[in-house]
Amino acid sequence: MKMKKLLLIPALAAATSTVSADIPITGFIESKCVIQSDTPGRFGNPTVDKLSTKAADGGVMPIIRYDIITASKYKAVITTPTNFSASPNLSDSVDWTSTTIAGQMSDAAMSVFNTNKAIYNNGHTTEFDLVKAGSVWFNVTSEAEYGVGKSFPSGNYTALIVAECIAK
Amino acid sequence: MRLIVLFLLLTGGYAKAHQFTPTYPELEMSHIAGVYKAEMVLFNTREDIRYYEVNVFDEDWDPVRFAVESRVVPMDYQETKYITVYISKKESDKAKYICSKSKILLTVKEPSIVSSRICSKLK
Repeated sequence: MKMKKLLLIPALAAATSTVSADIPITGFIESKCVIQSDTPGRFGNPTVDKLSTKAADGGVMPIIRYDIITASKYKAVITTPTNFSASPNLSDSVDWTSTTIAGQMSDAAMSVFNTNKAIYNNGHTTEFDLVKAGSVWFNVTSEAEYGVGKSFPSGNYTALIVAECIAK
Repeated sequence: MRLIVLFLLLTGGYAKAHQFTPTYPELEMSHIAGVYKAEMVLFNTREDIRYYEVNVFDEDWDPVRFAVESRVVPMDYQETKYITVYISKKESDKAKYICSKSKILLTVKEPSIVSSRICSKLK
């Protein structure tokens, strides 16, 4: 009898080791817009009265990536700086200019973003209708020029870009 | 290319991202009489951001009165939070957008900072 029981053990072990279960991994992709701060910008200081994110001026262009899951559900609104959020004391006015364009894109058809973009707020706000799904990288240039013949005081300068994604 | 994008999305290829869903939330009755609620999901993978602010606006982007557990939501890196936004029946007719906006701390001294705002539209 004991022997029979002992023989049963490997049989049971084999039986249990072959038991398996299907464990599902489920997912759901919903319509959404994701904003990523891809490359933080940096001001270059090509002349004493100028700060610029252009590579030609020694700066680094900020790049913001938008991921669009479903086409035509959102619009992107990017507002460039019109003042410094932190800087040394400035006694004169600063003149700001900027550009925002869709650069790298996952679908060539996204070039329509640039064709149909709307610019307002004295050129500081650019609105893109996100009519294509995929990923797009927006390149932002920002230039600040100080009062005539004056040099920017030394210190740290910080400026803020506002990147928005608004459901239509 | 679309498959690559899809793969990145499914595998969480977000390094410094801000997500706020659903795109079109619906107002439904809450446990309080005369008060509606919308369930939102906020996801933060921006290492430089620790707080998000929630707001509700009407069609003209004027603020609408609402209630939420905390208007400024503390978020850890890679954290997901479920946010219930309460709007009174009276205000619910006006409410059009529910937005979340990243808050930049004064201590952040990057030369160029990106503040992100995502707005969902109420059905």
